[in-house]
Amino acid sequence: MSGHVAELLALAAAGALDTGEADRVAAHLGECPACAERAGEWRNLADALRRLPRPRPERALAARAREMVEAGLAERAERAFNRAALAFLVGLAWTLAIFGWVVFDLVAGELALRLARPIGSVAAWYAAYLVAGWLAAGAAAVMLGRRAQEEGRTV
Amino acid sequence: MDADREDAARLCRGDTSGLAGLMDRHQDRLFRYLLRLLGDRSVAEDVFQQTWLRVAERIRRYDAERPFAPWLVTLARNLALDLLRRRRPESLEETAEPLAPPSGSDPLERAMARQSSARVEAALGALSALDREVLTLRFEDELALPELAATLGVPLPTAKARLYRALERLRARLAATALPGRTR
Repeated sequence: MSGHVAELLALAAAGALDTGEADRVAAHLGECPACAERAGEWRNLADALRRLPRPRPERALAARAREMVEAGLAERAERAFNRAALAFLVGLAWTLAIFGWVVFDLVAGELALRLARPIGSVAAWYAAYLVAGWLAAGAAAVMLGRRAQEEGRTV
Repeated sequence: MDADREDAARLCRGDTSGLAGLMDRHQDRLFRYLLRLLGDRSVAEDVFQQTWLRVAERIRRYDAERPFAPWLVTLARNLALDLLRRRRPESLEETAEPLAPPSGSDPLERAMARQSSARVEAALGALSALDREVLTLRFEDELALPELAATLGVPLPTAKARLYRALERLRARLAATALPGRTR
């Protein structure tokens, strides 16, 4: 029996031959008792594989998996909301910063008129305003980051 | 398949009832596949959970025109093979320790043990992960050859060759553990 025939016999038992191959194997088995016997052995093995016990997951495992996915989905939704909120806040901060220059210019002019004396460079005041804003935002980000880290450790 | 499509659409919208439906229909098959591939119940349970999490994360990439089960098995397969590769790169092709012959002094008991599916299961468990995978997909999940090839990500002739090699190795392992005089 050639290696190719042996392969065909095994694959026939596995139901993995095309029609032409299956016909050729059937014709050969009619003429070759040795191959017919070997084909029977392969069929027995294939049947044994099909009859193997089918292990199932425990109910608790499926429930845990579902809880895990639900928690993951909730976290994903929260992250998406946080990203959107952050994008909005960054946009708002830039708008205020740009708009702030116009306001600063007007207020500084008005103030200088009312005080009847110069109040210094508007650009310097504006720069101080921006730096103060960045420092406050940085401090808030650090505090939020620490809080998130602590929450992560306690979960 | 329509139920899968509806549940996948629900899950896409963040509705976890879609997940419940998909799990009800596919969890047994997924678990069995992972158990056979990984050969360890606790590891299979871990990857089982990770797979469903991956399903939820990637459900938007699922093409609802195609059956859900092969997509699910592909996700599970990638996770499981990554895990096996991380543990030991050679473990995919590696076989387990040779099995001891059936124990017990009573010849009848031994003969019955030889015939039992437990023996086939033990021999299957001693094959390499890739051999176990192809056999469980074909005989337990009853995937047709084209689906089998698609799931494994190989051409049809390669899938056929892998199926034959796995069967031949299983037969050889069973023969090696048979009692003297019954080596076939």
